[in-house]
Amino acid sequence: MLLLTIELIFFGLYGRRFLTADNGVNIIRHSVEIGMLALVMLPVILTGGIDLSVGSLLGLCAVLFGKLWRDVGVAWPIAAVGSVVVGLTGGGLNAVLITRLRLPPLIVTLSTYSLFRGLAEAITQGTDAFTGFPESFLFIGTGEWGGLPAQAWLLLMTGLGIALLIHQTTWGRSIRAIGFSAEGAEYAGLPVQRRVACAYCLAGAMAGLAALTYTARFGTAKADAGAGYELAAITAVVLGGASIFGGRGSVAGTVLGVAVLGVLGNGLTRLPATLSTASELSGIVTGLLLLASLALPRLPGMLITSTATACERPRSTS
Amino acid sequence: MLKWSSRELTVAGVLVILWLGLAVFAPDFFSPQPLLSRLTSSAPKLLVGCGIALVILTRNIDISVGSLYAVASVAAGHASHSAPTPAVIVAVAIVTGLCGGVINGFLVATLRLPSIVVTLATMVTWRESLRLGQQGVFINLPDNSQWFSLSMVPGQWTVVLTALVILASLAWAQKNLAAGRHLHAVGSDPEAARLTGISPGRTTFSAFVLCGVLTGLAAALNLVQSPQIDPNTGRLLELEGVAAAVVAGFAVSGGRGRLFALLPATLLLVSISPALTYLGAKPYWDKAVHGAIILAAVMADGLGRPKQGSRSQAA
Amino acid sequence: MTSPLLQLSGIKKAFGAVTALNSVSFDLRPGEVHALLGGNGAGKSTLIKVITGAHMPDAGTVAVGGHPISRLTPAIARSLGIACIYQQPALFPDLTVTENIGLRLESTSPFRRVRHSERRRVATSLLRQVGAGFTGETAVYDLSMPQQQLVEIACAIGAGAKILIMDEPTASLTQPEQELLFGVVDDLRRNGSGIIYISHRLEEIFQIANRVTVLRDGESVVTRELVRTSGPDGTSICQGFDEADLIRWMVGRSVERTPIAIPPASAPNRLTVHALGCDVSGVRNVTFDIRAGEIVGLTGLVGAGRTELARMLFGLTPADTGEIRLDGVPVTISSPAAAVALGIGYLPEDRRRHGIILDLPVAQNISMSVQSRIFPMGWLRPDAEKTLAEQYIRRLDIKTAGSGAEASTLSGGNQQKVAMARWLATNPKVLILDEPTQGVDVGAKSEIHQHIRSLVDEGLAVLLISSELAEILALSHRIGVMRLGTLTAMFDGQPSAAQLMRAALGNQEPGDQPC
Repeated sequence: MLLLTIELIFFGLYGRRFLTADNGVNIIRHSVEIGMLALVMLPVILTGGIDLSVGSLLGLCAVLFGKLWRDVGVAWPIAAVGSVVVGLTGGGLNAVLITRLRLPPLIVTLSTYSLFRGLAEAITQGTDAFTGFPESFLFIGTGEWGGLPAQAWLLLMTGLGIALLIHQTTWGRSIRAIGFSAEGAEYAGLPVQRRVACAYCLAGAMAGLAALTYTARFGTAKADAGAGYELAAITAVVLGGASIFGGRGSVAGTVLGVAVLGVLGNGLTRLPATLSTASELSGIVTGLLLLASLALPRLPGMLITSTATACERPRSTS
Repeated sequence: MLKWSSRELTVAGVLVILWLGLAVFAPDFFSPQPLLSRLTSSAPKLLVGCGIALVILTRNIDISVGSLYAVASVAAGHASHSAPTPAVIVAVAIVTGLCGGVINGFLVATLRLPSIVVTLATMVTWRESLRLGQQGVFINLPDNSQWFSLSMVPGQWTVVLTALVILASLAWAQKNLAAGRHLHAVGSDPEAARLTGISPGRTTFSAFVLCGVLTGLAAALNLVQSPQIDPNTGRLLELEGVAAAVVAGFAVSGGRGRLFALLPATLLLVSISPALTYLGAKPYWDKAVHGAIILAAVMADGLGRPKQGSRSQAA
Repeated sequence: MTSPLLQLSGIKKAFGAVTALNSVSFDLRPGEVHALLGGNGAGKSTLIKVITGAHMPDAGTVAVGGHPISRLTPAIARSLGIACIYQQPALFPDLTVTENIGLRLESTSPFRRVRHSERRRVATSLLRQVGAGFTGETAVYDLSMPQQQLVEIACAIGAGAKILIMDEPTASLTQPEQELLFGVVDDLRRNGSGIIYISHRLEEIFQIANRVTVLRDGESVVTRELVRTSGPDGTSICQGFDEADLIRWMVGRSVERTPIAIPPASAPNRLTVHALGCDVSGVRNVTFDIRAGEIVGLTGLVGAGRTELARMLFGLTPADTGEIRLDGVPVTISSPAAAVALGIGYLPEDRRRHGIILDLPVAQNISMSVQSRIFPMGWLRPDAEKTLAEQYIRRLDIKTAGSGAEASTLSGGNQQKVAMARWLATNPKVLILDEPTQGVDVGAKSEIHQHIRSLVDEGLAVLLISSELAEILALSHRIGVMRLGTLTAMFDGQPSAAQLMRAALGNQEPGDQPC
């Protein structure tokens, strides 16, 4: 929150045409996909897991959506459903590998990160891009409705939906409990693996949905769609106060995290020429912010723990 | 004296089958000069694979190597303009790699942050810094940096042999130096390591630093091969490295794996994309194939692993 | 007379409100085997942790070789030649035995050449000394628990330990392995080392110990010399005391059984277990039943398979042979979720790791296993949850700042009540209580006992697992005893503590009813 205020003041003072309604709309437009991915990354991180594949899955869904619409020739709403189904399948693949085969989420999603992106590139032969989508579809990405960008409504609905899921249902309860102590949750009779699997499936389905707004915003579906979004989503969640070890985190925090990143990315491009730097700076700052938000809470504790390691700890059951 | 584990034999077996297939369907693959060139271009990958494998041995992961590789390349490239000797290129690349490794090591081992998030963050930070500083402009390298000022064929042999010598000495050290065994101990059970008097923090830190140094060296071996460098070099390198380590039998849960197995594993992986090309497939499938290979290798480990849940309850 | 290797005097140690050791004095002379006896929870483990430097005593002094040590840490203890062989070996599973021994014995400086042939030679000779039936090339991963213990012993011998602590080293050894181990112990003794030997097998004590100290409730009850004389036929005869004395010292004389109402014999069987077994948890052929309104106590030594049986009944490690019937209907329990749905509750032994989730509020802990009932369609209703939580906070008299307080802020006894409340809220048919009062202060303990008694009035079937004989005797209608993974005895009447202890230790007398 503090960070967001500082940013707003800083860019408000130094930026050109930063604090305008137009720019606000712009920021929202650009943050939608990352926002949606961050919102589903949150439950995954709450379970104590991680999903590195969402950005790549977004790319795969976008490409398959384009393929369905242009080459198969189905109407775009049906292709859109297809995109979400592909996302769900991709998320389901992660879920099966993680919960059935009990493989570490990190390595599973790292390989599907490469797999999904690779499939997208293979389908487009690396260069093909799908364009020329109908106006009715592009409206999702460029139109306005009720004074807000069309996709903002989608983000708003997603946000509300996820907030309700996490804060108002037993599922949200369960994944928090699992994140704090998977063993404890199992001893309480919670279906741990099923609940965790849901989180990865949800992340996949959302990647499929985000692929639509992404495609509609740019008007093209390319294989590199959503590259790097997984990092932005994780950063937003961690910036929003969620613990990377699971259990702690809230939708409100994540939304703030997304806002910080969105404002930052936009603000940096609007600095006067003397300070002007390119969009790359936002990537650097994203990485550094993520590191800082992880490292700062640890620094004071480090001095204490490093002296207290002499104690023999009870051996944990492997 | 080398004892071949079943994993090394499997990988070597698959490699031989692939090569036999290539020999039959695409005999061009084995004509000497392209083969040497291909080996030369694989040498850096072998070293990066070593670095990642060492980190995986301690139960961590480093996915920032691809970006670090690019940073080291660019730094060495710039340095070569003021002092155009191969020694400078190699030294600058290694020192840059070392710094990257120290940063990762500090964050992971000293601050005890999860390695995946740390190296994800450093991966993006290095890559974007490079884009910012270099804006995609290629750097021309001085002529005498090529092939260590040798002619091409001896130069290629130098590169290949350097990589092999380093792999061999690391594999030797892994087996015969106490430090090598400490990596296994820490990855196998950090708590037991602490009780034995091995510092998990220091060991993990060293693994990251070594990984950085190897990445820098790999960048140097790559630099001498071309007249100019692309600041976007090294993309996907972290995935190739992780794939090589996993295929070579390094367990992601730490403690298990032999560096020597990286040789057949890397050769297998670098043979796949030419094989695909020779056999008529498009190169766009590279990335997907890499992902699928990591998945297959991890799944083989996951399914083959004995159920261990009851081990602590028995007794 | 030489000075003792180890001298502890007036050691006190408390954990919160629970006193684990109260003015315990203990010494170890060179060349002797000093047996340490006591029931579960008598304070043996705590005493050992004081000796190995893992726990700082609250009061008292520790002297090693005549020199008082003011602040004993694990590292200092190791450098003084104190080695402990735990029941849970601290080995590296991915490495070979040779490697493990090497890492333990050699210096930890990293830039040192590993001499594999030297290592192999040392490891092989050590393994021969302990009589291991496996080679140094075996991966620890593939070793059984007793084999891993042998590796630990080999390490301790290799390190030239002067003070060796063996915590139930024979618990899982076969007879020949055990004979070999005793040979090793004899060698060590002859070389002037001192051995602190903990075992529940009383016959072993008479076989190898020179002295015996019995702990009970954190106090040392007695220390006696064992005098061996050679009998006419060459066997050694021990004088001074016998097994009956040991058992009496261990259980004390004060165990009174409070008679409780026997449930009507006509009450239907709630839970029937027939020939239940599970390979991975080492439990085999367990048969018993619990009637509605009955508390069946289950006791036995640590590692006898009690918790493993409970884990099977709760679906954590599903049984692979035998049959479970609930109210006469055969059921399969494949997961804890299935067990909860069937009406089985399990209060686990390890409260902090399994019983509750410390980071969550009290109310969420209580409602965790009834989520589907109080939250229709998965929709949270905080008011319903609060009502439920407050009902149980009142009923069990849980002392908390409120139903929203994090469970970690509560005392141990109150945390345990929260864990119990969770299961009571499910209205279970069968409730398994595993060491329900472990680490709980005296006041909370008697309250928990009261609650357990009142539960059965509602027709619940309770399986009460406890190592504390007094607790088992005070609460149970019938008492089963487990030993080496199976149920060996079921007492219907009112057995004495000594009878139970004998059954748990495995020396039956004609008077006991076998199962």
